[in-house]
Order: sequence, then C-alpha cells, then structure tokens
Amino acid sequence: MPADRLNEDKFGRILSQALRRHSEPVPAGFTAMVLMQVRGAQEQRILARVVLQERLTLAACITLAGLTVVVAAVFPEIAAATFRAITTSLTGQGENLIDRIPEALKALIGRWSSVGEYSVLGAVFGFAIYSLVELLMGDRATIA
Amino acid sequence: MAKELWQQEADWLSLLRSGDHNAFAQFIDKYKELVFLCCRRLGLREDEAEDAASETFLAAFKGLRRYGGQAELSTWLWSIAYRQAVNYLRKNRRQWQFEVEPDEEIPSNKEQGPAAALQAEEQQEVVWQAVDRLPRLWAMAVVLYYREEKSIADIAKIMQAKENTVKTYLFRARERLKQMLEGAFEEAADASR
Repeated sequence: MPADRLNEDKFGRILSQALRRHSEPVPAGFTAMVLMQVRGAQEQRILARVVLQERLTLAACITLAGLTVVVAAVFPEIAAATFRAITTSLTGQGENLIDRIPEALKALIGRWSSVGEYSVLGAVFGFAIYSLVELLMGDRATIA
Repeated sequence: MAKELWQQEADWLSLLRSGDHNAFAQFIDKYKELVFLCCRRLGLREDEAEDAASETFLAAFKGLRRYGGQAELSTWLWSIAYRQAVNYLRKNRRQWQFEVEPDEEIPSNKEQGPAAALQAEEQQEVVWQAVDRLPRLWAMAVVLYYREEKSIADIAKIMQAKENTVKTYLFRARERLKQMLEGAFEEAADASR
C-alpha cells in the first residue's frame, strides 16, 4: 500500500474517532415541546376539516337556493306546477295525518300494555339519533 | 436474535406510521441529536436551530406515513433536517449563501509543535473546532462521511448534490483539515502506528 494512502487512512480513522466522540447538546424539554406542537398541529387539522365541512354545507345551501331562484325565473311554469304538486301532496297528507291522530290515540288507549313497548322503542330511536349526532359532531366537541 | 430485533424495529416503525405519540417521542429522543448536529453545522444559531429542528420533526411526523423504507430512517431524517435548515436560512437571512471557499487565513496547530501532545478529549475538541471552521457544505460532508458513516451516494441525496461534488467537498475538506490539524495529529498518528 502506498505511504500516502496509509496516511490518508490513518487520518480518516483519527478523524472518525474524534468526530464520533462528540455529542451535540440538545435543549432540555425539546421532546415534550415537539410533541406539544404535534398535538397542536393535529387539532388544527381537525378544526380545518370541520370548517371545510361547514363551508361546503353553506355553499350547498346557497347554491340550492340560487338554483331554485334561477329555475323559478327561467322556467316559471314548470316551477309553479312543481310547487303546486308539492303543496297539494303535503296538504293532503297533512289532513290525512291529522285525521288519523284521534284514531291512533283511541287504539293506544285500548292497548295500555303496548305503551311500555313504544316507550322502549322511542328511547332506542332517541339514542340512535343522539349517537349519530355525536358521531358527526364528535370532532367539534373534542376541540371545544 | 437478529430476527427479533428486526421485528421490534418493524413494529416500532408501524406504530410510528400510525401516528402513535409514544413511538414518536422515542423517535425524537433517538434522533434529536442528529437533527441539531445538522442544523448547527449549517450555521444556525441556538434559537434558530431549535426552530428548524422542531420544524424537521413536524415534517417527519407528517411524512412518516409515506416513508417506505427505501432509505435508512436516519438518512431520510437527515434529508429532511438538511432541507429544513437550508429553507430556514433562505427565509430568515436574505444575504445568506453557502460559502465554499473561506477568505480568512486558516489557523494551524503547527505552531503548537509536537511538544503539545493532545489527549483524546482535547483532540476531539480540536477536531470539532477545525470542522466548525470549514465552509458549511464541507463540514456537513465531513460529518456525514466520518461521523455518520454514510455512503457518498447517501450524502449526495441528503445534500441534494452530485456524487462528484460530494467527493470534491470531502477531498478539499480533508486537505484543509490536514493543514489545520497538522501539529495536533503528528503525535496521534505516530502513536497509532
């Protein structure tokens, strides 16, 4: 092996040993600080997602209202016919519903034992709605 | 034994990728020295190094899901740290640029003479001071090659440079270090013969 190469290797070895012995100082509490920043960044991301969802919902509402106005302006006859059909249908169903309430009450009074069952069903239905709302609003509740 | 270690590493990596905070705390503890080493070698001050280091770890946390294991985890993190430190310098110091050839005269330990034999700790200190006096990119290449034992190809990836450029940095850095450390190393080289 040539002498130059030998010296080069020795120099490299001494350099390696000296550099490896060095330890770089790190500020105390650095890990905790970074973890706090990571949590903050995650919360910001969730918040940004919720804000985006709300903006999309708002945009959809505005677009729908705008579309309704545009359709009413451009196709007034079709809009009027559709509106008439909807109101007639709703009024008819509403009247039917109001007529049916006394009958339903009578039937319910006749079957007191079933009231308990209906209460349980109602509670289950209420809990399902609550769970759904919790699922959809969970992120917001965590941040608040 | 090796298989168990590999499995532990794989489990830890999958925890890291899933965003587990405990695994990430271990990750920070394991590599924080490396990140600070990178930031300070590129010339960031204490407060700047802390900012750049925390930005590095935030970027790593976001990017861990995409880390596919093509490169070593430390090499991957070195690349992020290097990029963050350079971006930090570019953003915060308008006049900043990497000096490649220092104008100042290089101080040498030659005048101390062979009589000034250096102990291992003193030698380490002298070497670090000499590396710190090198141009930033040369110092970075020296640290990556001699301390971290990265290959030229890995260093080129980390520093976003060509392999030949890295070889040039290393060659020039070695020559400059030899001049600087001549006196200090004469005895050490004799002792190791």
